[in-house]
Amino acid sequence: MESDKIIERWVPQFRKGLLEFIILLRLQQSSSYGYELAMQIKDVTTIEVAEGTLYPLLNRLKRDGLVISEWQTAEVGSPRKYYQITPLGLETLTKMKNTWTETHNSILNLVMQS
Amino acid sequence: MNSMFPIESETAKKVWDNFDRELIHKLKLLPKEDKTDIRLEILSHLYDSMMNLSEGQTDPLNSQSEEIRLINAISNLGSPDEYLEPLVADILLYQKASKGHPSAILRGLQNSAKKGMMHALATLVLGMGYFWVIMIFIMSVMHLANPDIGIWYYPTGEVSLSFEAQPGANQWLPEWFSLVGVMASAIGYWGLSKILSYFIARIND
Repeated sequence: MESDKIIERWVPQFRKGLLEFIILLRLQQSSSYGYELAMQIKDVTTIEVAEGTLYPLLNRLKRDGLVISEWQTAEVGSPRKYYQITPLGLETLTKMKNTWTETHNSILNLVMQS
Repeated sequence: MNSMFPIESETAKKVWDNFDRELIHKLKLLPKEDKTDIRLEILSHLYDSMMNLSEGQTDPLNSQSEEIRLINAISNLGSPDEYLEPLVADILLYQKASKGHPSAILRGLQNSAKKGMMHALATLVLGMGYFWVIMIFIMSVMHLANPDIGIWYYPTGEVSLSFEAQPGANQWLPEWFSLVGVMASAIGYWGLSKILSYFIARIND
């Protein structure tokens, strides 16, 4: 069906933008590493995403100065690269939250009217 | 790197080594530091996923064999092409553009031009900047063979970049033009590349 094809194109774009927002929301609570972030995203959302796709997003967030990373060696398990949100990341997240709330409310109104 | 990720089963070790070899192959274009960093991060993810461990937990949560858990972990990561290609491309483009690599500059300008009016305008300005920087460089080198090539200014205040002597005009720095031109174009090229890499960093492909 035509609509299925359109949704196929739309969902990855929608998901990508949303994932950056979710990652920052999660990092606002505490620093975290890739696998843990992937598990938490799976737990709290219905977004099905290949775990590896988080890494290009984390790289972009890091390059934009929204997060920083640091390797930590645990007593048990493998070394892990922890990501931490920066002051710029927090500022950006606040704006993202506002945009999200406004957009959500607008879309909800449209959905309710339809 | 295997000592960091202890694996007992021989079959799982082979699967792990194959995956690691593929990682090394796909990351080969990156500088050593980035390559090591990404490889270790992906392997660390894989190991955590295989052990199905969260922070504070010490035992695998299921009783599947090591190789099955490893294969599942690789599958959950997704296709390496899906996550490594954008990662590698992004890092390379950013690094090459900031170092003034011509192909990266061209690709950066193309990407930037597709991102709306403001980016298109910035691309035009940057493109013109690169044009003049390259032009000055060529003229500076040619000036060594033909001293008439350079910048000429008229008593009326008009300025002309010319490949031949201009009647009624004086040449600007006839003895230093080559040196000043090469230095100015090198600084200009570096500056433009830094500005372009700033733009690339803000383009969401």
